[in-house]
Amino acid sequence: MELSQVRYFVTLCRTLNFSRAAEQCNVTQPAFSRAVQRLEDELGGALLFRERNLTRLTELGRAMRPHLEAMLEAADAATALAQAKRRNLQTSLKIGLGPGIGAASIAGAVGEVTKMLPDCAIHFDESGPTALIDAMLTDRLDCALLAEDCDLPERLNRWPLYTETAVAVMPSEHRLATQNAVTARDVLDETLLVGERCGDFTKDLEQLTGLSLRQKRCNGAAAQLLDLVAAGLGIALLSGRLRFAAPLAVRKFTEPDLTRRILLTAVAGRPLNPAAASFVKLCRAQGFS
Amino acid sequence: MPHQSNLEGSKIDTLTSRLGTLLASRRQSLEWDAAYQEILLRLDREGFLSGIISVGAAFPDFVLPNADGRLVALADHLTRGPVVLSFFRGEWCPFCKLTLTALTEALPRIEAVGASLLALTPETGGLPLSMKQRHGAAFEVLADVDFGVGLSAGVVFKIPKLYRARLVASNVNFPQRHGNAAWCLPVPATFIIAPDGTIAWRFVDADFSHRAEPDDIVAAIRRV
Repeated sequence: MELSQVRYFVTLCRTLNFSRAAEQCNVTQPAFSRAVQRLEDELGGALLFRERNLTRLTELGRAMRPHLEAMLEAADAATALAQAKRRNLQTSLKIGLGPGIGAASIAGAVGEVTKMLPDCAIHFDESGPTALIDAMLTDRLDCALLAEDCDLPERLNRWPLYTETAVAVMPSEHRLATQNAVTARDVLDETLLVGERCGDFTKDLEQLTGLSLRQKRCNGAAAQLLDLVAAGLGIALLSGRLRFAAPLAVRKFTEPDLTRRILLTAVAGRPLNPAAASFVKLCRAQGFS
Repeated sequence: MPHQSNLEGSKIDTLTSRLGTLLASRRQSLEWDAAYQEILLRLDREGFLSGIISVGAAFPDFVLPNADGRLVALADHLTRGPVVLSFFRGEWCPFCKLTLTALTEALPRIEAVGASLLALTPETGGLPLSMKQRHGAAFEVLADVDFGVGLSAGVVFKIPKLYRARLVASNVNFPQRHGNAAWCLPVPATFIIAPDGTIAWRFVDADFSHRAEPDDIVAAIRRV
């Protein structure tokens, strides 16, 4: 398939009008129609119903649209980034982080983007999934890392990035810090600090084991929760991908293992700026092991 | 590697002969052969190759992530000399594996004539890195995420039914490997891009068992 054919089809999907789409693409209507026809030949069927006053997508057209849109965006983004690099474009990269999801795993990709576009401003927004999804849909965020268990609307593209495992975090002088690993049985007599912005590992543990755990709620970010852990208010079950510093001790949590899959999400069919598009590509290309 | 006898002794154990041997063994399966023929017929009937970017045209400038998580710009490589850019189908493809092995062997000769080599794959999720590591490739393996550069070059096609069914039956999960469910692939294509960004030489073929012979690539770079 050719770039122009895909561009014509995607424009046609948005206008549902052959003459208007041809005009937007700066080609004559016969040339436009021929190109769409050739794309249909390659894809093995009609993409559109051509009725007198009505142009509608066929089932094949509807099925192919998101894929062809993604390919067209990728083609445009690869070129746009090359241009942006030459001109040192001022741009921004706005990433949402779901509850308890750290930026450490994606910091390398962010660094690569700023190496290529030094004037790119970086924004992180740590919030609950509903707020982040809303921010993406209303164009206030380019993309977000979210745990797989949240409800994602159809309009969001999603790519699995990595699976993270919970660890138990405690003061270094804590009695459990002498063990190599911490189990559900070990935390029965402990206070677990939990927070809306820190991930649901404690809730998952309760659901998996049926245990009723002593909890203290702290509605701050993971950094504040860790300050309370250091002060001896309790221990916390957090993603092992967060960065922890002394005087905290970090132990593997096991029996049961608590894991969650983290997805990269972005609104389907909405072109991203060169910084955001390359960030998404960098993340998707990587293995994150 | 089995050697194929050839009338011209010098042709023994070329990439082309290794690919030919592999193809002959694959074609023993009637189902595989039917799927293979379907691709050839389909692309030929559509005049697919005529849509691919030609010699003399400017290769679209691009930036793509590489296997190691860095962004790589075509323009940066062109400042150092000609670029050999080759499209691959992926690590699952035995024809690509043979070609990558041959290019890994040929890399010193390609670099000796002042060129760099970029291998593009539509695969994601760490697969470009495994491709690079498995072949001990010292050249760049780039992730052409969502076929962007392949589409700009005109080398991407939608996989016909029979071949797709063969892939599904062999558990080659493209939606997972590509991070999209378009079920597309690039045809084998190798471009030599001159330092001014124009295409100086190209090899394109609808038949995925045909690849640019490393000796031909080296000879073509010398003429740039």
